[in-house]
Amino acid sequence: MSNANVEVVRSTKASTIPEVTSARDRGASIAFLTPTALLILLLSIFPLIFSLVLAFMSWDLSRLEGGIRFIGLKNFATLVADTRFWNTARNTVFFVVGAVGVQYVLGLGLATLLNQEIHFRRFFRVTFLIPMMLTPAAVGYVGRMLFNESMGPINDIIHHLGGPVIPWVSNSKMALPSLILLDTWEWVPFMTIVLLAGLQSLPPEVFECARVDGANEWDIFRHITLPMLAPVSITVILIRALEAFKLFDIVMVMTGGGPGTATETVTMYAYTVGMKNGNLGYASAIAYSLLIMVVLFSTIFLNSLRGRAAAVEG
Amino acid sequence: MRLSMRQSRKIKSVVTHILLVLWTIICLFPIYWVLITSFKYPIAVFQGPKYFPWIDFTPNLDAWKFLLTGPTSAGVYRSWINSAILATTSAAIAVMIGGMAGYALTRFRYYWAALKWKNNDIAFWIISQRMLPAVVVILPYMIMYRILGLIDTRPGMILAYTVFNLPFSVWILRDFFAGLPVDLEESALIDGASRFQAFRSIVLPLAAPGLIATFLFCLVFTWNDYLFALMLTFSRAATLPMFIAGEGTQSYGPQWWYLSALSLLSIAPMIVITTAVERYITRGLVVGAIK
Repeated sequence: MSNANVEVVRSTKASTIPEVTSARDRGASIAFLTPTALLILLLSIFPLIFSLVLAFMSWDLSRLEGGIRFIGLKNFATLVADTRFWNTARNTVFFVVGAVGVQYVLGLGLATLLNQEIHFRRFFRVTFLIPMMLTPAAVGYVGRMLFNESMGPINDIIHHLGGPVIPWVSNSKMALPSLILLDTWEWVPFMTIVLLAGLQSLPPEVFECARVDGANEWDIFRHITLPMLAPVSITVILIRALEAFKLFDIVMVMTGGGPGTATETVTMYAYTVGMKNGNLGYASAIAYSLLIMVVLFSTIFLNSLRGRAAAVEG
Repeated sequence: MRLSMRQSRKIKSVVTHILLVLWTIICLFPIYWVLITSFKYPIAVFQGPKYFPWIDFTPNLDAWKFLLTGPTSAGVYRSWINSAILATTSAAIAVMIGGMAGYALTRFRYYWAALKWKNNDIAFWIISQRMLPAVVVILPYMIMYRILGLIDTRPGMILAYTVFNLPFSVWILRDFFAGLPVDLEESALIDGASRFQAFRSIVLPLAAPGLIATFLFCLVFTWNDYLFALMLTFSRAATLPMFIAGEGTQSYGPQWWYLSALSLLSIAPMIVITTAVERYITRGLVVGAIK
């Protein structure tokens, strides 16, 4: 199995996969793809359409006169005027920007450290990976213990270092940043591992040349490493952001959305409206608004980067 | 004072290692904290933070005894077993079905004239399902499952998790299969093997590392899920995260020693998996994100 061979096959991925000619392969090409296509159509696409239809319906299980009625855009009109919804949207966006930003910076720093000649490389890699594999519901609970203001170790350590008592979860301005810290603990590993792989894939010659030319480490990092790492950076930021928009588990357990509604997210609100209040139509409209937010964010994020890349090249 | 090249390199190395150790402590401290809390008496929790067993508190097994033999133990065992069954089964099915699709997308040229979709469009259509916020599909699931009688059943949950994991599985395995040479399977095909035989006896063994990585990821995703379980189960098929969240938000207040032990039941298997097969996980992660 030579390397060249692998390369040849890889290059066929784009467009030069052989056309299916034999009857046998035609059968196989359908048989191999059908289970996946069918499952996704029935259990992913269909629910998606179902949900969209629901968003235009009034279907409230808590009301006696119940039944399903078409009410057009009324759910969305309610949504636009719903201050509780806007609060959850603000919380979610604040969380996404804060968490992904902090995680990217930390992840890049740790990846840079791991990319040097170090002892116990494997130990560090394994240890750094662990948090992202842990159950978020349990992590949320761990966060609740650690951030507890009177019995938790964080405030205790800060106290011993001479710091003030920090109202991590009881203060409505602090609760969301506390969640960002917890999420950062859990998800920096993802950034670190993928960015490390990105760093390792950069050609070493470029760095040697720059060093020979007398560039210092910071210049090399800013003007060579960062731009060359851009495609990987964009990917990890996008993946993490898409996940962060779904924020639910750790909030449910750590703060339950509180204090008040200071940490309530869009997913939580849709859950509360749909499951607890039984208002399925309105809950679907809330859920769809999250979908719209995610699509808008991805489009704007990718387009602005493409625009900047074009400006640099042009 | 000017430092020689060797000295400055030495300093850099020391600083690097100090920072790495610092982050190691940050990574491990929360896990250490859950571990020691599960051995504390209630009184040791309420007296404020205690850090070292045998030095500032006396460890005991009360929480573990309560967890494994107390009045809630039936729920603990049931949810742990549910989690294990749902995670392994749905991961295995997702790898099997997703592997076939991933293979097909690298070996056969598709063209769907109606939408002008080619292989890459199909692959993107599949992975895009994973990017959607799950909450969008979860309400219809609940309604469908109630009608079909799948709510709070293991088969229903296995089905839901399989579909949840499928996009990721196809996405990663497609890349693994694209990296395999086609010569071996082609000679098998010329010798008269069917596509499925060639796939099973030649391609799958070669792709074993990819299959393992994908299986592990699907396993972890399912094991860790809370949203689907919360919406689609309540007792018989309830999973461990649900049990943890349920106990953690009881109105009588969190019983930290007990909840710590409970959390460990959920995170310990993940720590074992991570340390045992870090190589596969890292590889799967990198392939999934970069390719």
